[in-house]
Amino acid sequence: MSSETSAPVRRGRAASVRRWVRRRGWTAGVWLLLLALIGWYTTLIPEFGEFEITSIAKNSLPSVYLALAQGVVVISGGVDLGAGGLMVLSNSTAAALMEGQPPEVTVLIALAVVAGAALLNGFVGWVIAVSRIPDIVVTLATLFIFTGVALMVLPSPGGGTSGQLRYAFTGSTTGIGTNFGPSLIAIAVPTLLFAAWLTRTRTGLSIYAIGSDDHAAYLSGVRVVRAKVTAYATGGGFAGLAGVALTAIANSGDPRFDNAVNGTLNSLAAVVLGGILLGGGVGSVVGAAGAGIIFFTLSPILTAMGIDPNTAQVVRGGVIVAVMVVAGLLQLRRWRTQ
Amino acid sequence: MSSAADRDEMTEASDAVGRTALLSAREVTKRYGSVPALAGADLTIRPGQIHALLGANGAGKSTLVKILAGVLPADGGTVELRGVPVRPKRPADAFAAGVATVFQDPTFAPDLTVDRNLRLAGIDRGRFAGWADRLRLGGLDLDAYARDLPLPALRLLDLARALAHDPQLLVLDEITAALPGDQVDLVFSVMTHWRGRDRSVLFITHRLREVLRVCDEATVLRDGRTVATVVPGEGGERRLVEPMLGEVVAQSAAGAAEVPAVPDRPSERPEGAVAALEARSLTSREHLRGVSLRVHAGEIVGVVALEGQGQDRLFDVLSGNRPFDGGELVVGGEPVRPRSPYDLVRKGVVLVPADRLHALLPRQSLHDNLASALYNRFSRWFSLAADEQALVGRTVARLAIDTRAQRQVRRLSGGNQQKVAVGRWLTAGFRTLLCFDPTRGIDIHTKEQLYQLLRELAGDGAAILYYTSELTEVPLVCDRVLVMYGGVVVQELPAAAADEATLLSAAHGLQEVA
Amino acid sequence: MTETETSVRDDRAGARPAEAGWAGYLSERPLLVLGAVLALLVVVTVAIEPGYLSVRGVRNTLLLAAPVGILAAAQTVLMLTRGIDISVAMVATLAGYVVGSQAGTGLAYSIVVGLLVGALIGAVNGVGVGVFRVHPLIMTLAMSAILLGLLSQWAPTIFRGVTAVPPFLRTVGGGSFAGHLIPYNALVWAAVAVVVILGLRRSGLGRMIYAVGDNPTAARLAGVREWQVLLVVYAISGLLAAVAGVLIAGQVGSVDLRLAEEFLLPSVAAAVIGGTSLFGGVGSYSGTIFGALILGVLNTMLTFLNATQAMKQVVFGVIVLGLAWAYAAAQRRTG
Repeated sequence: MSSETSAPVRRGRAASVRRWVRRRGWTAGVWLLLLALIGWYTTLIPEFGEFEITSIAKNSLPSVYLALAQGVVVISGGVDLGAGGLMVLSNSTAAALMEGQPPEVTVLIALAVVAGAALLNGFVGWVIAVSRIPDIVVTLATLFIFTGVALMVLPSPGGGTSGQLRYAFTGSTTGIGTNFGPSLIAIAVPTLLFAAWLTRTRTGLSIYAIGSDDHAAYLSGVRVVRAKVTAYATGGGFAGLAGVALTAIANSGDPRFDNAVNGTLNSLAAVVLGGILLGGGVGSVVGAAGAGIIFFTLSPILTAMGIDPNTAQVVRGGVIVAVMVVAGLLQLRRWRTQ
Repeated sequence: MSSAADRDEMTEASDAVGRTALLSAREVTKRYGSVPALAGADLTIRPGQIHALLGANGAGKSTLVKILAGVLPADGGTVELRGVPVRPKRPADAFAAGVATVFQDPTFAPDLTVDRNLRLAGIDRGRFAGWADRLRLGGLDLDAYARDLPLPALRLLDLARALAHDPQLLVLDEITAALPGDQVDLVFSVMTHWRGRDRSVLFITHRLREVLRVCDEATVLRDGRTVATVVPGEGGERRLVEPMLGEVVAQSAAGAAEVPAVPDRPSERPEGAVAALEARSLTSREHLRGVSLRVHAGEIVGVVALEGQGQDRLFDVLSGNRPFDGGELVVGGEPVRPRSPYDLVRKGVVLVPADRLHALLPRQSLHDNLASALYNRFSRWFSLAADEQALVGRTVARLAIDTRAQRQVRRLSGGNQQKVAVGRWLTAGFRTLLCFDPTRGIDIHTKEQLYQLLRELAGDGAAILYYTSELTEVPLVCDRVLVMYGGVVVQELPAAAADEATLLSAAHGLQEVA
Repeated sequence: MTETETSVRDDRAGARPAEAGWAGYLSERPLLVLGAVLALLVVVTVAIEPGYLSVRGVRNTLLLAAPVGILAAAQTVLMLTRGIDISVAMVATLAGYVVGSQAGTGLAYSIVVGLLVGALIGAVNGVGVGVFRVHPLIMTLAMSAILLGLLSQWAPTIFRGVTAVPPFLRTVGGGSFAGHLIPYNALVWAAVAVVVILGLRRSGLGRMIYAVGDNPTAARLAGVREWQVLLVVYAISGLLAAVAGVLIAGQVGSVDLRLAEEFLLPSVAAAVIGGTSLFGGVGSYSGTIFGALILGVLNTMLTFLNATQAMKQVVFGVIVLGLAWAYAAAQRRTG
């Protein structure tokens, strides 16, 4: 009787496949694109082996972590221009403190840096939630501040870390090698755990909910400020992890402002290509992580093709605009068909 | 379910109620800035009672609900639940204290699935499933995104979720407005079942018939105060309406006397006269199923309908704010297919939207607001109109707008804001005015000014299409009236025949018997 | 005096009162506060370095503030429409390159081409934001990346390694007159300021910029086609960025890929400090001018204090945050 008002009922198999494609298709597509790109890359260079896999995996770690950091904040309906700054600050701090320390101490420092970054960015999230200053302004300011402090901590590139910490991220105590296991684990485990936390716990879902419709979320009992702070804090934690990974990969810290700005830009690009909608509530951090690696692999591929690697910038920009245009048109269509 | 004897007992024992009450709110006050919304409201709900909260627009109902639900803090007064003072700081606190509210707007996050929305709120799945079955949502796909669900399903989901909180007090704010009849019955059966478990329901509605049907007691608010507690059924609807309206009835009667009656105009027009605005079988998704209407220069055509009969979409389409799917829109004899409101504004068809916030530039000055429609085309971008001052001055004078708080129009009173919404078209000029419920929530004096203004405009040759949610306005303002139901115009009446009863029955889709 | 005015307003019925007291008075007149902050900063700077008010101090401050002020004009106009332009620095750099490479074919010609290129790129941003509804931050960020990629390739090829800037531009960008008191670029800034301020206040476009930013729905229903406004506004932003780029190139004396990089964040900061809201519809270029001057004086002061670049960044960041918070609070009090 009331079938017209009481909505979609459970569907058949074909419909649920279609639904899976519609919901996870973008994320799956991003990873397929990545595999295709790498597959193509193997045909472009004379030799593709464990060394190349290790190289791609370990060097894309900071982009992956930063994409996760930006991803959670964008899902919550915000944006974090300071993420790159926090990565640089963590990188510099870790490198300055770890130099010459025994392995156990460097691990403790790494944990402390990640926790500190989470606390710091959680405070940023609190400022945004409470002051109602636009997030762009607040995080632009934190981009200034974080990089400034990074320069104070480590006035010029330098510092170091322990071989053991390097091993954890790169698979080798010297940072160079063919053992790709640890790097792949370092990509996969945090990404999947984080995605599961976001979509399966009440706290994680509350981050999606405030990005989707913060008023509705508030009315259904979500503590909006707390969720916002959690989003920025976890994002900060991943930015800190990106900084630690950078320290491990390079065995040094680099406080330059450029690194911070590039980090932020790359993370935003990854989030957009990864299918996380600016405005919040939609998308998966898994897609963002894949997109982070894609943008990282563009340069070597272009180089292998004999094209100026600077074209990677152009491609990155073009892809972002294309994705956003498509998203904009889809949204317009949805509005029109309501 | 409760007998008449029960009811008598209730009213007599109203003093004792304070101790045994499930919810007892005393002298609750709340101000927004300098505007009082609640000036000492009392509400007592006994266990096992369905209690109605009534009042005209702006009486403070929704403010009181928000305070009970923890959305807003009260400025003063006390709220006790089973004798324990409660002061929820946020909705989560209210749930925990035993008050679950179904708000007017859906509270499922649109981009999450139903299932995840439930997990988000920490809902016991078994309990939810029980209530969902009872509300005939058993077949609902829990893995569907909330945004893909139709509004009635969302309302029932909200209700099932609220029930799954297992609250002492269930607050239902206008839940029946968006529901078709069979689902309203479901809601009522759940409400009575809830009462049977010695829990209570606070029911907010505009439909007095529903109050008579299910409520045991009703609290009436007026101007932020509790003015009466009545037992529905004793004296029918009238008993409920009187305290709601209070002096307004007298005022509006007096006001009606001042406004001259609609002059008798020949209802036949010359054959083949070109309508200022004509819709021919307009369709738009499920909202409009073929609307045809004509508005001629010099007349005010009223539109009345219950909530959600497609009137919003009709005005959206007629103003060019949304494209239509089928049919024809004809302006001054020429068919148009507008891509944006601009295409119709150029042809003189302009909209005063329902929500004043859609018509105002809240942080701009009065002057800039009134002049805003002058500069919508490229050719006028590079200077200011030479006669801007004069045009705006004329509008201010004609509308008698209070110009004191003119730095930012968001500081103007509601009535003055509504004048600005109309005023920007007086400045820029128009041929056809689409007015959507312009008098909602404004004071009686401004209302009369608006009636007067619209009549003058029509006298000057404007064509006006006027939707109103207040049926009593129709004979005061309109020449004839169209009744919409289910996305089509079901009836047309001359204003003289459009008394409230006739309009209401037509608006419910009941054809005239005579 | 302030109390009588506001309390009289309170007593009148029909109008909701403005915020009473000095806080309300000041929040209605942010320029007064900004002027006071600027004066205070100048006083502090003089206390630190008594020679500041001499010729060189003022000249240096203006020299630095002018390009920031012009770029901030672009940000102000965009922020009024709820937008932002991250690509201004790259557009400015591109304009520097174009002017440098075309200078051989005539100075006036090269400047016109440079400015046109800037406006064109701005217009492309405008199409993205206005027509395809791409988020301004993302659109201009992507544009920035594209320009950087292209310039990196073109700098050694199409622009044939241009590095030098014609002498005339070096004078306009870095020279000064009136006994070395006022730099020429401040003159350009003044001209830009007059056009922007008058344009915002006294043109239909200016009205529509505020309208679109304040309430896009109301603007749409008034017949405004938002995309047209945005297209024009982003083109203007590109044009202003190009003007600033030419001045910066002249000041530096040469062009390189990172020519205007350091001006991007101050351009946003100046607009924010000047009280323009990123939520649109509120603000003015007069405020931004104060913002640019405040940043300029602050920079000079910190230099006198031997502050490192790191210190300056932290101080700028904290000040932007603090003032933005103050504006947000004032907005809420009066809202």
